Amino acid sequence: MPEAIEIQLKKGALELCVLALLSQHDSYAYEIASKLADAIGMGEGTIYPLMRRLQADGLVETYLVESKEGPPRKYYRLSEAGKQNFISQQAAWKSFSGAVETILGGAQ
Amino acid sequence: MTRQAFLARLREGLRGLPAQTVADVISDYEAHFADGAAEGRSEAEVAAALGNPDRLARELRAESSLNRWRDERSPSSAAAAVFAVLGLGALDILILLPILMSVAATIFAFFVVAVVMFFVGAFALAAGPFTDPPGGPGAAILVGIGVMSGSASAGAILTIITIGLINALVWYGRLHYRLLKPALEA
Repeated sequence: MPEAIEIQLKKGALELCVLALLSQHDSYAYEIASKLADAIGMGEGTIYPLMRRLQADGLVETYLVESKEGPPRKYYRLSEAGKQNFISQQAAWKSFSGAVETILGGAQ
Repeated sequence: MTRQAFLARLREGLRGLPAQTVADVISDYEAHFADGAAEGRSEAEVAAALGNPDRLARELRAESSLNRWRDERSPSSAAAAVFAVLGLGALDILILLPILMSVAATIFAFFVVAVVMFFVGAFALAAGPFTDPPGGPGAAILVGIGVMSGSASAGAILTIITIGLINALVWYGRLHYRLLKPALEA
């Protein structure tokens, strides 16, 4: 089992990463999950409870796109509230991680 | 684990949620298996990458219960939200349970007192004027109305406190859990 601090760090980062991906372009859960699973080492299944929470909080919206084979695919896009939330979370993350970087650099 | 087995365990874990919610969740994971297959991954690979279906079901159940609590303030949605948060394992139930039980018992006792006082007031209002009370019938009516409205507002305040306590518990549970833990432990 990973260290508690690593869990806490990843917990905080996951939601921000999803918002960041969606701020670049609309996407579907499989694509989001496969990008994040490799990059930050999370279970792919975790994306679905998170997307449901973001949707319930009004940060993302869904729409269906017909696909060539199989049923229509569910796409997610940021809502206005989601865009605002992403901007403020991004700023908070940058100032926090910048402060930690400075201290870590000083400790060497 | 095969796709069938994964979906069956997930469905089992979601039992009791609204049929529409279960159907939405299952179709999400079915689409995930289909996308995985399109990329040439085996069912077992996709299932392993998804994580433990029992834990995913607990998370999804918690999200659903918390949303219901947010939309609808009722005793049943409150109980569902509290149990869902406890079921996440984010809180140490052995420490929390005695505290929760005593807080719940205290609030319940205050509610009983408020209800009893309400009927005492109603009795004073209805029967008091005929028993020749000190200060005359008018005083009995005023006392009755005073006790009734006092107990009604005490009941309202208790309700607000109860809702606040449940919200605090839900907030704390979510803060200490936030979805990633099961995937990392799986």
